[in-house]
Amino acid sequence: MKQFKTLLTVSALALTSVSFTASANAELDKLLEQVKKDRVSEVKINAKREAEFKAARDQKQALLNKAKAEYKAEEARQKRLQQAFIDNNKKITEKEVELDDAKGTLGEMFGVVRQSSGEALGRISTSIVSSQPKYANRTELLSKLAEAKELPTVSELEELWFALQTEMTESGKVVTYDAPVVALDGSETTETITRIGVFNLLSNGEYLVYNTENAADPKIQPLARQPEAHILADASAYQGQSSGYGSVYLDPARGAILNIFKQKATLEERYHQGGVPGYVITGVLALGALIALWKLLTLFLIGAKMKGQLKNTATPNTNNPLGRILKVYADNKDADVENLELKLDEAILRETPSIERGINVIKILAAIAPLLGLLGTVVGMIGTFQSITLFGTGDPKIMAGNISMALVTTAQGLIAALPLIFIHAIVAARGKSITHILEEQSAGIVAAHAEKEQA
Amino acid sequence: MLFLIDIWETVRGFISTGGDVLYIVFAVLAIMWFLMIERYWFLLIEFPKYRKELIARWDARPDTTSWYAHKIRDFWISEASEMLKARLLLIKTLVALCPLIGLFGTVTGMISVFDSMATSGTGNPRLMASGISMATIPTMAGMVAALSGVFFSSRIEARAKTEVEKLVDSLPHH
Repeated sequence: MKQFKTLLTVSALALTSVSFTASANAELDKLLEQVKKDRVSEVKINAKREAEFKAARDQKQALLNKAKAEYKAEEARQKRLQQAFIDNNKKITEKEVELDDAKGTLGEMFGVVRQSSGEALGRISTSIVSSQPKYANRTELLSKLAEAKELPTVSELEELWFALQTEMTESGKVVTYDAPVVALDGSETTETITRIGVFNLLSNGEYLVYNTENAADPKIQPLARQPEAHILADASAYQGQSSGYGSVYLDPARGAILNIFKQKATLEERYHQGGVPGYVITGVLALGALIALWKLLTLFLIGAKMKGQLKNTATPNTNNPLGRILKVYADNKDADVENLELKLDEAILRETPSIERGINVIKILAAIAPLLGLLGTVVGMIGTFQSITLFGTGDPKIMAGNISMALVTTAQGLIAALPLIFIHAIVAARGKSITHILEEQSAGIVAAHAEKEQA
Repeated sequence: MLFLIDIWETVRGFISTGGDVLYIVFAVLAIMWFLMIERYWFLLIEFPKYRKELIARWDARPDTTSWYAHKIRDFWISEASEMLKARLLLIKTLVALCPLIGLFGTVTGMISVFDSMATSGTGNPRLMASGISMATIPTMAGMVAALSGVFFSSRIEARAKTEVEKLVDSLPHH
């Protein structure tokens, strides 16, 4: 079945091809004709293109020749210029030598000018003379001279000389002028300033510093911490003076010594360095002082009253111990001697405790104060060793805080103890003399009084 | 004259290296010596007169044996010993204060040493030296002041004691 199908298809194909061949023959002839025709025209075109190409080739050759000629010309020019460059270089060197020869010692002078104007620039820009508005812009010419590459002119040299001379002259003067002062909180006020040479600035009896850390914008500033009161008192007295001579504390280091005051602790800061032991010591001192004052007052009052009583033994007054003892005698005049003595002893025993009360407390407080100081020392040293274990011994500044606590509390303990011991001695002596009068003398006073009465 | 100026300058240099605590030491020393000289004056010049008067008064008494006489004698002796021993406690206290003030100078000196250490480190021992001399000189001055007082104050005390005993012996019951 399958074979049959294939056979059928082949025969069909043969049939169609036969019919196609019949009409194609005419077409092919036409094509051949066409190709023949085309070949003729193509040859023509090719010949034309060839002719064009040949013409162009000739032209390019001419261009190449021209370019080659140009290259040669440029090469020659380069050679010429190179030679000229070398010649010129040689000439420059020659001329420079000539210039140096011509400058001679002037070259040396140029160096000196540069060096000295550089030095003067450094000195003048930080000098407090520059804080005076009159001399504010002195550094421009100097910095120009210090950086210049050419010989300075005669007028510039004169300016340098004037600048140096001005600084020198001003360093010997005491001048007063108005200038802006920048306070530590940044506010700016204009103050009347007294400048002493190139050393110090004073205003309103206080020291000022000229801050040139920011070279573009130097400022006059008050000192962060002023020196001691007596130094300032001298300064304000000096400012108040209009003529003659005056004494004032001068910082020859131009502010360096004054700046050290910033680091110095005030008495109050010192006190607070003592910490808690320091405060306890203050409490002990205050308590001791109060008790001592009270004791001193009462003992002197009692002493005065007893003195009065001693002059008038006939009328016993009960407002003092001696009077109360005399009253015992007055009440027991008729009793026998032994009975009287017993009664007197009893009265004396009643009196003494109130007189001695409090005196020992002062003594104890005086003894406690240095011990508390010692406690503070130990606490401070513990802190010191703690910081050593944490940070090592490399930086003494870290240890300094605790060490100062240790030392300050010791000092505070002694400061508290010294007056307490002293005042205790006075109070104790006073109390002892009163109790002596009562214990050893009152019986005698009674006896003397009795004898007088009997006589 | 130059010699005196020389001494004065030495003293001034000493004080300025020792610091202000030295002034306190000197003040205490001055008070102490003023009181001690006063005591010596009293012991050597005033008291013999008083004693003579007391003995005369006692000898003039007709009655020296009764209870009254005994008490009056005790009264007089006590008064005399009170006079002799007046201010002795204060002198002894001042003597005891001297080394304490010296110690105070030591501590303030050490504070200044540590101050200079805190601001400029340990590199420059010269900066610390002034603090160290401020620490050591007052200590020494306090010691010297105390020593000068210890001897004389104990002498005065012993003398006062013997004076009282002598007085007791000079007032017999007859």
